[in-house]
Amino acid sequence: MNFKEKLKSNKFLITAELFPPKGTDISSFLMRAESLRDLDAVNVTDNQRASMRTGSLAMCKILLEKGFEPILQITVRDRNRIALQSELLSASVLGIENVLIISGDHPSAGEYPSAKPVYDLDVLQLIKAARTLETGIDLAGKKLKGSPKFCIGAAVNPAATPNDLQVLMLKKKILAGAEFFQTQTIFDAAQYKTFFDKIKNPNVKILAGITLIKSPKFMQFLQKLPGVNIPIKIQERINSASDPLSEGIKICSELISDLKTFSDGVHIMAIGMEEHIPNILSLQ
Amino acid sequence: MILTIKKSDEEILESLKGESAVFIIACAGCAVKSHTADKQAVETISKLLSDNNIKVLGIEILGAVCNTQKAQETLSKNINFQKAKTILFLSCGTGVQAVGSFSDKRLIAVLNSAAIAAVEPSYSKFCSVCGDCILSYTQGICPKTRCPKSLVNGPCGGFVNGKCEIDPAKDCVWVLIYEKLKQNNALDKFLNRFIEPR
Repeated sequence: MNFKEKLKSNKFLITAELFPPKGTDISSFLMRAESLRDLDAVNVTDNQRASMRTGSLAMCKILLEKGFEPILQITVRDRNRIALQSELLSASVLGIENVLIISGDHPSAGEYPSAKPVYDLDVLQLIKAARTLETGIDLAGKKLKGSPKFCIGAAVNPAATPNDLQVLMLKKKILAGAEFFQTQTIFDAAQYKTFFDKIKNPNVKILAGITLIKSPKFMQFLQKLPGVNIPIKIQERINSASDPLSEGIKICSELISDLKTFSDGVHIMAIGMEEHIPNILSLQ
Repeated sequence: MILTIKKSDEEILESLKGESAVFIIACAGCAVKSHTADKQAVETISKLLSDNNIKVLGIEILGAVCNTQKAQETLSKNINFQKAKTILFLSCGTGVQAVGSFSDKRLIAVLNSAAIAAVEPSYSKFCSVCGDCILSYTQGICPKTRCPKSLVNGPCGGFVNGKCEIDPAKDCVWVLIYEKLKQNNALDKFLNRFIEPR
């Protein structure tokens, strides 16, 4: 069963994400990937945090060759409509069907604050463009010789306030053609349930994003990110743990157990600590 | 109006290297409202020039430099303008080019054209002159200009407590639009309206 078929099943889906190397040495990337062998799909980020890395498409193709099911992340930050449509066709030619379409972190958050932010299309427009390509024509109305097929995902942030505006955007992305969602990081299952109850939809799967807290220092970094809300109880557990990493693994595992009772699945963002994902999942 | 901001003295002097005399054109339209071509601004630039041994041959304050025909009429009667080889502009970039369209003189821009902005009580960049207005669909607020990602179909996930993730001091423009949509019972319309790429 591929990822698209799994989205139609009742399976609790587990995905994770990998970031490409900064440079041409892919050995660490491949090693981290091995820890994700048993997952339903693996996202590859697209110059995340607006910092320059090897391309998502190249790394997705390598994952595909190694027997993984990749999800190509595409941001609308760095490419205009010509390059975005071309990237989608390239993905399809390479056998990559799953794409996660996101706006991407603004250049001002990254290594190149003066880089030109492109945003020629927005997320809704690119989702629709991908659906248009599937019908055999492009945005200029030109006929394609051979048309692609996609499984399209998008992002939603449960912590964005006013919350109802995110609910509305999720609905709008579904209308545009999104089939699955991966959320920004959450730490509070009960709080997420309130949001999930507002957004759950029988036609799409929504995977809750979770992050492994590896140290008190990393937790401080996370807390500075917009909209990240770590409950005091979790903060205390990490701060007082003799082994914060194993406490973080436990917290992740407990969160997944809670999410299993109502969520469609989880998306694990281990940010370089992917080797611990099998451990997180074995504690279930 | 077009918001203009004065360039640094270093940049102005760099562009004036080798010049010994200039004629100044100041715009009484937008630039005056930006306080970049008012009396004080003219005095400031005149002082910078005299401190650097550059003679001011004359000053013409035009109602709006971008009115090419009027500018040409007025300047053709000004002997000092005719004599000058180099013209210094306290105007936006359009003013510089309007004069350039009928004059072969050397043109020096003193100001940067920063934005189409509202003035008072503060300068607010409201319009990016894209030539394709969507304000009728966005409650009169332009997300193309005021959202750092220029998202026209709704916000990203980066708003927290109504503030923009790029600049937490600023309201997320989509939250402002959302509040108006709510007030005007237009949320359903927003959900079902898709703004095509243009």
